[in-house]
Amino acid sequence: MVQLRLPKNSVPKGGKHFPAPPGATKVKTFKVYRYDPDSGMNPSWDTYDVDLSKCGPMVLDVLIHIKNDIDPTLTFRRSCREGICGSCAMNIAGRNTLACIHGHEECPGDKISISPLPHMPVVKDLVPDLTLFYAQYASVEPWLKTETPEPQKEWRQSPEDREKLDGLYECILCACCSTSCPSYWWNQEKYLGPAALLHAYRWIIDSRDEATGARLDDVEDPFKLYRCHTIMNCAQVCPKGLNPAKAIAEIKKMLVDRVV
Amino acid sequence: MSFRTPLSTARGLGSAKHGVGHWLSERVAAVALVPLVIWGAYSVILLAQLDYYGAVEWIGNPVNATLMILTIAISFMHMSAGVRVIVEDYIYGHLTKAAALLLNLFICGLAGALAIMSILKVALGGA
Amino acid sequence: MATYEFIDHKFDVVVVGAGGSGLRAALGCAQAGLKTACITKVFPTRSHTVAAQGGISASLGNMGEDDWRWHMYDTVKGSDWLGDQDAIEYLCRNAPAAVYELEHWGVPFSRTEDGKIYQRAFGGMTKNYGEAPIQRTCAAADRTGHAMLHTMYGQSLAHQTEFFIEYFALDLIMDEGVCRGVTAWKLDDGTLHRFQAQQVILATGGYGRAYFSATSAHTCTGDGGGMALRAGLPLQDMEFVQFHPTGIYGSGCLITEGARGEGGYLTNSEGERFMERYAPTVKDLAPRDMVSRAMTMEIREGRGVGPKKDHIFLHLDHLDPKILAERLPGISESAKIFAGVDVTKEPIPVLPTVHYNMGGVPTNFYSEVVTKAGRDPDKVVPGLMAVGEAACVSVHGANRLGSNSLIDLVVFGRSAALRCADTIKAGATQVELKPHMTDGHLARLDRFRNASGGTSTAELRLEMQMAMQEDAAVYRTSEALASGVQRMNAVSAKRPDLKVTDRSMIWNSDLMETLELDNLIGQAVVTVTGAHNRTESRGAHAHENFPDRDDKKWMKHTLAWFDDPTGKVKIDFRPVHDYTMTNDIAPFPPKARVY
Repeated sequence: MVQLRLPKNSVPKGGKHFPAPPGATKVKTFKVYRYDPDSGMNPSWDTYDVDLSKCGPMVLDVLIHIKNDIDPTLTFRRSCREGICGSCAMNIAGRNTLACIHGHEECPGDKISISPLPHMPVVKDLVPDLTLFYAQYASVEPWLKTETPEPQKEWRQSPEDREKLDGLYECILCACCSTSCPSYWWNQEKYLGPAALLHAYRWIIDSRDEATGARLDDVEDPFKLYRCHTIMNCAQVCPKGLNPAKAIAEIKKMLVDRVV
Repeated sequence: MSFRTPLSTARGLGSAKHGVGHWLSERVAAVALVPLVIWGAYSVILLAQLDYYGAVEWIGNPVNATLMILTIAISFMHMSAGVRVIVEDYIYGHLTKAAALLLNLFICGLAGALAIMSILKVALGGA
Repeated sequence: MATYEFIDHKFDVVVVGAGGSGLRAALGCAQAGLKTACITKVFPTRSHTVAAQGGISASLGNMGEDDWRWHMYDTVKGSDWLGDQDAIEYLCRNAPAAVYELEHWGVPFSRTEDGKIYQRAFGGMTKNYGEAPIQRTCAAADRTGHAMLHTMYGQSLAHQTEFFIEYFALDLIMDEGVCRGVTAWKLDDGTLHRFQAQQVILATGGYGRAYFSATSAHTCTGDGGGMALRAGLPLQDMEFVQFHPTGIYGSGCLITEGARGEGGYLTNSEGERFMERYAPTVKDLAPRDMVSRAMTMEIREGRGVGPKKDHIFLHLDHLDPKILAERLPGISESAKIFAGVDVTKEPIPVLPTVHYNMGGVPTNFYSEVVTKAGRDPDKVVPGLMAVGEAACVSVHGANRLGSNSLIDLVVFGRSAALRCADTIKAGATQVELKPHMTDGHLARLDRFRNASGGTSTAELRLEMQMAMQEDAAVYRTSEALASGVQRMNAVSAKRPDLKVTDRSMIWNSDLMETLELDNLIGQAVVTVTGAHNRTESRGAHAHENFPDRDDKKWMKHTLAWFDDPTGKVKIDFRPVHDYTMTNDIAPFPPKARVY
């Protein structure tokens, strides 16, 4: 059966509290998931009372402020801080998003919880293990396949055909969508998940690609593709405003076109 | 602990290269059930007003009997397909899963066959 | 000291970094049949190439006549004659083939009506040797770097390049002047690794985070430059730091130059399009150093916008919303998120922001690292190459033209791979590594891991960033630079007083930030020392006490060595290559740089 409870060693227990410095004026509380693999202890929820006048508008600014000035041991991934690299994907106030483009003002309530992307193994604190997610991306063979000898210059592509790639190629592989999908939670090892399928479609629909049929063959599978039950969480959370559910629906439509 | 490479895990057993048939049949059944269920509801209301002989006579009509059989057959097929997806989604154990799938198939098949047989019996004048 | 053990790996080539140039080099080496590893501290598609927006320059001529010679002239002039002309010829000649190669791999370039790659105008790109702006920059909307990086990562999956992801490179394994490999720390399990290779290729990017406000990612800490300095190698032309004219005011996020390429323009508080005064021919499409200086001048003379009169407006509101949605969707989104501005209605508040390092590890156009030994200014360091922003080929000289960096990545990434294929025999026997070659690496790691001084990493980093921001800015004076040298030396001297709180080995980001800070400090010190030493103005180095370019004395590359234990800097020079690679074109002699 599907496992609905956390294993014993993964249940969060206790946690430290870091009060705001004296004289802080604009205080908000952040409840952050902590897990230290070296300690052998269960994860915990640490709470930080943060003086917002000391940091920028985004949740990532808050995390960096905590790391710089309150608790240097806090660990999270971050890089571009402008929503293009996809490093700082995490669950903020119950929603998967990028910390760098999610304002703390946007979060409801006065206690904001921050935890790693759901249903992934946690390496440390807010750092999940995305190995399988990346391998699923690799398994859709995300490169242009052609057999016709390459032209001297570019492959021609009409602006209309190029437009079909919009809403697909912008994916940043942050994994917000896949880790918000209940179907992916329950069947991670067999279902490719919304991100990998969006990329599969990005190559299927590319007018330059000559392996469309083989690509469709490779996803036509009761689990790899058809575990998508159009729950639509993927489209709801995508921080880049993409719609993986629509891409998946388009693949299903093409598979029908092939037989009808 | 498994020492499979991540790519091997992601590829798993490879693509079954089928699924569109199943997906399509689910949709076709769902579309067919829209008018059939409306007709079914209407029939139930109608049947409630009739006495026993009236009902037997109504089922004796070939159109009514056919539609009734179709409604029952497609509903059970649809149910079986739906339950199958639920089983596949949530049950992982090999044996449990196989047992649940068989049970689903047998119960739906048996109940469907029984219902159809009963309609045929009434319709063909056995009552 | 705790005992540490290495896990050993042996390859023909090890590439450090998986951005545009690292992926291109690794891919080329793998294709050539060399056993290749690519080590990276972030997942490849998270490298900062992903944030490049506007495009990649190549004289395809899709929008009208173009010629690689014109591109070469523009690049030489853009570099303010500090670029090596042989390398620039190599770059511009090979650019079109490199772009077609990317297209064949699947990069989703925007298209013209007849299905060719769309090209837009960019600063400093002109036709017929400076006559008028030209459309030379190939674009995938305003997400060109993202499109390239993801496509190249896909290609390297197709060619089975071996990636070591989330491995933090520690130091180069040097053996009497020869590079034998690199050591690295695997973040997710805390193990240490020793990668031996016939050739190590540094593709570690720039060190933008030496400054307080930069368009660069948090991970742009120039780790390759830091490693090279510790290996006793010099860095070249580090005083040339490019300020991008249009970083969003406040957050510093990038707004592509392509915004001006598509017709955007800058205004001051009087609503004047002031670039017309500074660059009458190309106006808002002047090179970045000139636009940044013009903006700084406007602000200084009291014509800045906003309540503090401390920034400038970038207007896109006159452009067709359809064009904005099609060609500049990414920056429209960024402006909304980080400045709260709807670009179809309001101007974006912008400010010159640190963006790119022209300097780096000196190389020849084969991408082999060179150093000055005795009288030989081009002595190759065996076993070591550098590409991309980490390197200084030098094609960008004193100022890089926009969209020349993406082409630099792929052309020189490819050149490094070709050179490896020519000079290395796959599977050749390699010398045995001795512990003494890596003892220093472990000592440094252990020292920082157990650092228990009085200054936190964040404090010292801020001190460095403020010193650089204030004293090595767009305009520099002797006084500011002297203060900068002093402040940076103080920062460097505080390294033994650092304090690290997390002592673990698994994903210890506190320790990683400290090692990165150590890499940054060396580079910041040579940057400000080199700037103080260069008593002229050239490209991005605008010295107010010496406002003119002095070709007689200063048409030469600065080389700077940093002695890690003492923090002392040694400066020497290399001549600029004022000759071309082939006889197909004569070198462009220096002349006044006006646009």
